[in-house]
Amino acid sequence: MNYNKPELIDKLAAEYVLGTMSARVRRRFQKILRTSLATQRAVQDWEQRLTPLARAVPAVKPRAATWDAIERRTGGAARTAEKSSGSFLGLIKPALGVAFGVLATLGVVRLFPDAVIPIDKIVQSRSTLPESYVGLLTDANNNPVVLASSTRHGKTMSIKMLRKVDVPAGKVLQLWAIPAEGAAFPLGVVPAEGKSTFQMADTSEKLLSKVPRLGVSIEDAPVQTGAQPSTYVLTGNCVKLW
Amino acid sequence: MAFRRLYEATAPSLLGVALRILRQRERAEDVLQDAFVNIWNRASGYQAALSQPMTCLTAIVRNRALDELRSSARHAAESLADEETGTTHDIEDASPGPQALLEQAGDALAIRDCLDEIEGPQRQCLALAFYQGLSHAEVAAHIGSPIGSVKGWIRRALDKLKRCLDRLA
Repeated sequence: MNYNKPELIDKLAAEYVLGTMSARVRRRFQKILRTSLATQRAVQDWEQRLTPLARAVPAVKPRAATWDAIERRTGGAARTAEKSSGSFLGLIKPALGVAFGVLATLGVVRLFPDAVIPIDKIVQSRSTLPESYVGLLTDANNNPVVLASSTRHGKTMSIKMLRKVDVPAGKVLQLWAIPAEGAAFPLGVVPAEGKSTFQMADTSEKLLSKVPRLGVSIEDAPVQTGAQPSTYVLTGNCVKLW
Repeated sequence: MAFRRLYEATAPSLLGVALRILRQRERAEDVLQDAFVNIWNRASGYQAALSQPMTCLTAIVRNRALDELRSSARHAAESLADEETGTTHDIEDASPGPQALLEQAGDALAIRDCLDEIEGPQRQCLALAFYQGLSHAEVAAHIGSPIGSVKGWIRRALDKLKRCLDRLA
């Protein structure tokens, strides 16, 4: 069988994700999956299409023994992990706060708007990067300053400041989308240093699909929709990561 | 504690998914446990980024559940035991069937129109395969149709769903 044919890869990936493969075919496909990037990509695409259908399945509270076993098998680290800064858990902790806010507001079913919890490791462990929009903004000397990223269908923008920006007291750094045609529009506020996330008004796909450039201006306060930027102190390309 | 909170927030949904496929509480809890230990072990050493966490978590648990279901020896032994002893499964009879779940998911995800484009037998096969993890052969046996027809129906259902979802995206 020629596993280089995109149509065949797509067909097999769909059957794999759906779960209709027999044990033998499934094992054979998993061998290919370990080494073929195209196959991993096809599986990921089908997981994004089909897996959300699982949301309708009624939840079942696990037995206490299951968590106890997880704790045992992780050497008790799962219980105390919050103390280790820079770890996976340190990274997801702030986002969990967001997730629980959503939980409180919208209920359990709505807890899972994808891209709320940046559990990047899970995707990384699957060897492929998610479809995302990525912006790299530089200063006047072409030094990279802001790394902005958001998954294609997510509303969360993740910001990593690659170097500190001097912001006058009482001012904010406003991030803008600069479309190929039409006026720039505000996306959110970025920090002077470190990392942050903010919620955008819509998904990246809706907001950024026709936005080749991003810019950062210094404003008195976070601007409202319809406002226009003062002067850009940072600009850069916005690209699709797929 | 953050990992615990992640577990508490997601484990009930994930266990529900595993239990639907495996139909035995013990095996479903084992799959859940393995999945979370695996997530923990692979967690360190990566850079922060955004992803689609619930989709990923669910995919991990579904895959493990399907692997467990397909582990031939246990699967065969269990099927035999079921037939001989009438072992009851650990899902309440009153819980929604696969087709009802598919319709609920369609409404919750606002993709009902996409599902409505899929004809009855195709949709039934899709739901049985997705929610219960049935193979082509098992779906065929379940609905009493030839396996060739079932493969064709599922293929067409997936094609329609893909085209419709891609249009929406």
